[in-house]
Amino acid sequence: MSVPQPSADAPPANGDGGAAPRRRTRRAVPDEAGVVGVLIALVLGVGLFQPDFLRTGNLLTTAHNSVYVGLMALGMVFALAMREVDLSVGGMYAMGVVAGALLIRDGWNTWLAALAVLALSALVGALNGAVTTYLRLPSFIVTLATAMLLRGVGLALAEGRQITDLPQDDALFRVLGGGELLGVPDAVWVFVLAVAVLTVLFTRTRFGARVRAIGSNPEAAEFGGLPVARTRIAALALSGLMAGLAAVLALAFFIAGDPTIGQGYELTAIAAAIIGGTPLKGGSGSVLGAAAGTLILGAVTAALVFFEVPINWTTFATGGVILVAVGAAPLLRRVRDVRDLRAVRDLRSPGRNP
Amino acid sequence: MLVASGLVKHYGGVTALDGVGITLDAGEVHALVGENGAGKSTLVKIVSGAVRPEGGALELDGAPVRFAGARQAAAQGVAIVSQELMTYDDLTVLENLFPYGGLVSTREMRRLAGPVLAGLGIDPPPHARAGELPLADRQLLEICRALLLEPRVLILDEPTSALPRDAAVRLAGVIRRLAARGLAVLFISHFLEEVMRIADRVTVLRDGRVVLAGADAADVSLDSLVGAMLGRPAAGPAATPGAPSEAEPGARAGAEPAAAPHRPGGAAVSLTGVTVPGRLRDVSLTAAGGEIVGLAGLQGAGHLAVLDAVCGRARPSSGSVWLPGGRAPRSARHAVTSGVAFVSGDRKGRGLMLDKALWENVTAVSWLGQGRGGFLPRRSRLVGRARAHLERLRVRGDVRAGAGDLSGGNQQKVVLAKWLDAAPSVLALDDPTRGVDVGARAELHGIVRGLAAEGKAVLIASSDLAELVELCHRVVVFQRGRVVGSLAGGRLTEPALSLAMNAGFAGSAR
Repeated sequence: MSVPQPSADAPPANGDGGAAPRRRTRRAVPDEAGVVGVLIALVLGVGLFQPDFLRTGNLLTTAHNSVYVGLMALGMVFALAMREVDLSVGGMYAMGVVAGALLIRDGWNTWLAALAVLALSALVGALNGAVTTYLRLPSFIVTLATAMLLRGVGLALAEGRQITDLPQDDALFRVLGGGELLGVPDAVWVFVLAVAVLTVLFTRTRFGARVRAIGSNPEAAEFGGLPVARTRIAALALSGLMAGLAAVLALAFFIAGDPTIGQGYELTAIAAAIIGGTPLKGGSGSVLGAAAGTLILGAVTAALVFFEVPINWTTFATGGVILVAVGAAPLLRRVRDVRDLRAVRDLRSPGRNP
Repeated sequence: MLVASGLVKHYGGVTALDGVGITLDAGEVHALVGENGAGKSTLVKIVSGAVRPEGGALELDGAPVRFAGARQAAAQGVAIVSQELMTYDDLTVLENLFPYGGLVSTREMRRLAGPVLAGLGIDPPPHARAGELPLADRQLLEICRALLLEPRVLILDEPTSALPRDAAVRLAGVIRRLAARGLAVLFISHFLEEVMRIADRVTVLRDGRVVLAGADAADVSLDSLVGAMLGRPAAGPAATPGAPSEAEPGARAGAEPAAAPHRPGGAAVSLTGVTVPGRLRDVSLTAAGGEIVGLAGLQGAGHLAVLDAVCGRARPSSGSVWLPGGRAPRSARHAVTSGVAFVSGDRKGRGLMLDKALWENVTAVSWLGQGRGGFLPRRSRLVGRARAHLERLRVRGDVRAGAGDLSGGNQQKVVLAKWLDAAPSVLALDDPTRGVDVGARAELHGIVRGLAAEGKAVLIASSDLAELVELCHRVVVFQRGRVVGSLAGGRLTEPALSLAMNAGFAGSAR
């Protein structure tokens, strides 16, 4: 996608000089700027018509509601960036909520139960990866199956009902469910922390670089000796873990285990990741973009309430937003590329016409 | 017949073509040569309608034309066979030949395609899937597809770079015959001898300008052609910067390989009695540290299977493969971590991440494959290391530029750089200069010589026999999975190699 070097017909020394300023302008506009800009414009735009939308309380509630899908979208970035997809996160989420609720009802320490949910979801995610790798099946099929398996297990364990008789005033529920720090719900802080940690993991670490390299050119990765199988298993385990973390937060907030929770969340998570600039063809992605993508979808859902759009039209509107957002992204990118080209030409022209 | 004049095209800030013109006449083969990045591909894309020029004009039979796309160009009688294989591997041979479909019956298709296929000297089963055909046949299939459009102008963009020698020779005959029938042929090739053999006229591009316009091929010598391409006096390919010592032998054929400077105690790679079912039978060979050993053979002869065995991708059913340090490669990953570098000529498929920056490509093996550098290294250190390698190999382009933006020769150097970063002890090269211009080819050869001089064992397979003759201390010849002999010293010449590959060493001792 980047622009050819301007050094082709200039002597190399000048070419380097011409490239440096361009790099700086490129740095100043990170890939996520577009989607974050859209999010801010959307929030302010809605606020123009509905000033109440901009109340801190409303914004925080909107963010809080987006945390669960958001965490899954963050994990999904890793799966998509290596040309895999994880359709099981919705089922994982429901299974995690039910399993956690059952463990707590059976008298487990709540924190221990939360840890167990995290471990279990990471393990099932790793199994997704192992089956994908060793049976040589597309992860699309494997996780489609596990999505139903997991939701089925959740329904069976809960006997189709909500699990409600949980200790309401337990520390876990108080902290992760209702707790606040600096006026911001703890769940939102967890989300912010996850965005930070996973951004570093994705962009800076060897694991993240392997994920991107395998997604960019699987054959070259294989020839280059990358541990493709291990990386795939780890990436899908991470995706599962994020769904498990969402389950723990949801359990803490609702203080109930609902086996029908999170229907279709996997598709929303994928949509959020794509809106955020993670292409399905793999090789690249953005954790921050996926977070912004989730918040865009959450903000639209919240705004529809403000505009008193009938609840039955919410799904329709969300679909429209996904289409517009995904369609607008390449357009924004093209605008930026053209601007880059102009910058390069401007740099060169004084030297060319003395 | 087709006249292009004053073509101008920029990509970003780069001038690809700066007032280029070319005239293609009916009944003539017109060769277009130039280094990678000289503007050949851009010119071809403009003439075939894939790219629109910013300035200049195209005339077909004296009337100005504007192509809105490749299909429109095809409708006007300009057909192109592009450098990259463009067959639909999941479709049948016939479906590939008639991609624009329509309601043509199978019988009609066969009737039309039969003579053309026969003229190209192939006879694939019409309902076989194109992906099942050998590479050479797929290339010829594409040419057949172009010919079925009954073009008046045929553009062949490096049609022979993927072909084995006999198919290339056959294709040359076909091209001559097509021209004799009144077609105008534009022929692009890196094989200059081939150009000299086939072409009536030669146009040379350098840095987006014409430096030799439609000269009569009979009046042009190989040396002057090379000189025009490189813009230096014709004294053979460039000296090899980046390579320590090692003088570069003269242009192509006739270069005598230096005597093998065996380094006693250097790391060696060896195969003893290796059998890979269906590919190798009881093969034993050794490449000592410091030695460049060529692997030659016709398609499927087993020379490539040796590379696969060394790189851990083919498991021997009997016999063993030993890497320096006494280890046997258990898997592709194990071979890489044990210090085997695999440089493929298929740089887009097996070598590079085209959407990633150069530094990410260069560090992909050592950091991501071998794991050196740790979980969370400082990025500046990785970038710095990559920059050092690229400077050493004289790659033009910033470390943060995308690998897809480089010319073929520079891309191949990046592939080499990423393996050098992995500090290998064994180099396995498969057609390492495929589709690379003479200048870059000479530089790459110099680098390989330098690496051997450092004590690395080098195994190289190549479809370019001149490359094997120039580079290797010894070439091992394969037929049907067996070693049939080897050539070294004064006996290592292109004709001898070609003879051995095709006929073996009948009668003569090894």
